[in-house]
Amino acid sequence: MAISPAVKQSLPPPSLPGFEHVRRSWNEHLQAYTARILPGEFYVTRSGEGISTTLGSCISACIRDNLTGIGGMNHFMLPATDASPEEAWKATNLSAATRYGNYAMEHLINEIMRNGGKRHNLEVKIFGGGRILANMTDVGRRNIQFVRDYLQTEGLKVTAEDVGDVFPRMVIYFPSTGKVRVKRLRSLHSNTIAEMENSYLSHIKEAPVSGEIELF
Amino acid sequence: METTPSELVKDIGNLASLPDVYYHINHLVEQPNSTVDDIAKAVARDPAFTLRLLRIANSPLYGLSSHVDTPSKAVSIIGTQQIRSLALSMSVTHAFAGLPNDLVSMDNFWRHSLLCALVARFLARQMRRCDPEAMFTAGLLHDIGELVIFNRMPDKAKESLLHVLDSGDELPVNLAEQEAMGFDHAAVGGELAKAWNLPALLRECIAFHHDIKAARQYPREVALIHIANILAQMAEVDTLDREDVPPIDPQAWEITGLQEGLVEETVREAQSSIAEVEALFVGNS
Repeated sequence: MAISPAVKQSLPPPSLPGFEHVRRSWNEHLQAYTARILPGEFYVTRSGEGISTTLGSCISACIRDNLTGIGGMNHFMLPATDASPEEAWKATNLSAATRYGNYAMEHLINEIMRNGGKRHNLEVKIFGGGRILANMTDVGRRNIQFVRDYLQTEGLKVTAEDVGDVFPRMVIYFPSTGKVRVKRLRSLHSNTIAEMENSYLSHIKEAPVSGEIELF
Repeated sequence: METTPSELVKDIGNLASLPDVYYHINHLVEQPNSTVDDIAKAVARDPAFTLRLLRIANSPLYGLSSHVDTPSKAVSIIGTQQIRSLALSMSVTHAFAGLPNDLVSMDNFWRHSLLCALVARFLARQMRRCDPEAMFTAGLLHDIGELVIFNRMPDKAKESLLHVLDSGDELPVNLAEQEAMGFDHAAVGGELAKAWNLPALLRECIAFHHDIKAARQYPREVALIHIANILAQMAEVDTLDREDVPPIDPQAWEITGLQEGLVEETVREAQSSIAEVEALFVGNS
């Protein structure tokens, strides 16, 4: 079932400044253009297009202004720390791990507001955090804990979520309507997704984020 | 040079092969004058196999009222044709231990295969026209070509899976494989079944489960495995929404005469039995 009634256009709608590099393609099944983001990326749009990603233990927050339909999606995870999964994210919000999560969330929210979104209109949905490999510590849970804590601190309400469990997920989000399609993926894809996430993880370990985030 | 499915399985014999006990049973079942006793003796020659067979015969999978404590009792109660199928099912997970890969864990691979086996067996019982034991084996074997591809052509296999993810999981795996390699896991599985000299019924179910129109002698069984594969995916990701899995060829319902209303019950049934069946068929012993 198509969740967006758009008619195929020869070209995708223009992207917002800063997002030109994100690859977009026509999704025949959904009858809409979708931008596909990878671990560590995010995307914000004012058009009726979708944003898609595949998640293992990573988290995607889908955030939109529910009046104007401006919104976007991120895709991130916290870098591993030596602390236990239960304590790692709580230990101190200055830890590199939490700072990376803050960075991913603030980048998305700031970009939505820079493009006209209003903070009091923001509607949030969260996905991912699966424990997709049986022999892996449950890093997904730590990511879920982080995002819940972050949103609570920021006073942002989660209106829908599908997190945890053992499945990889494919998420397609339409900021203009707030509709989201979550498809659980077969374990056949678990290793491929875990490998993408691991290479992203080793990348963020090597390149810690700077503290320069402009807060609105 | 282009690789072909038959080249791919040519030297598989050294890496994955079926045990003698299977070939002994198979040979006897194909002899019209073999007795239950002959087959029981062939079973008894492999004590480890006998132990596993008795454990399975006494499990809820069979739900037999009397205790099965000898090979001859197992053969006479379960049936000679059925013992051959079961012997193959019991052997195949071991046979592939020598073909490891980095793309899918063996546990995950066999879970999908066993879910398909359970679904196929359940549907065959509803249909009353296919042998449930043979369909269990066919379900268990339907994707064996994947293990060959994943082991022999890991780069191409990974390229196919990435392509599937890139499409938002809309592109079926078999079509992604055809694009990347010129053939798919069904074709490779069919060739392996041929190399292993498996019965034609199994060969067709393996080779044509994505393309039921290609079936020759066993269209009904092939259509059943086609349906079972999709329902097994529903059981795995715990959904009853048909949008979450690849489409079932409408012809498959017509050919099997199965009612689509059976889907929920079948998926639930497979989910409730999977842990036990995993312990019996993939467990370490």
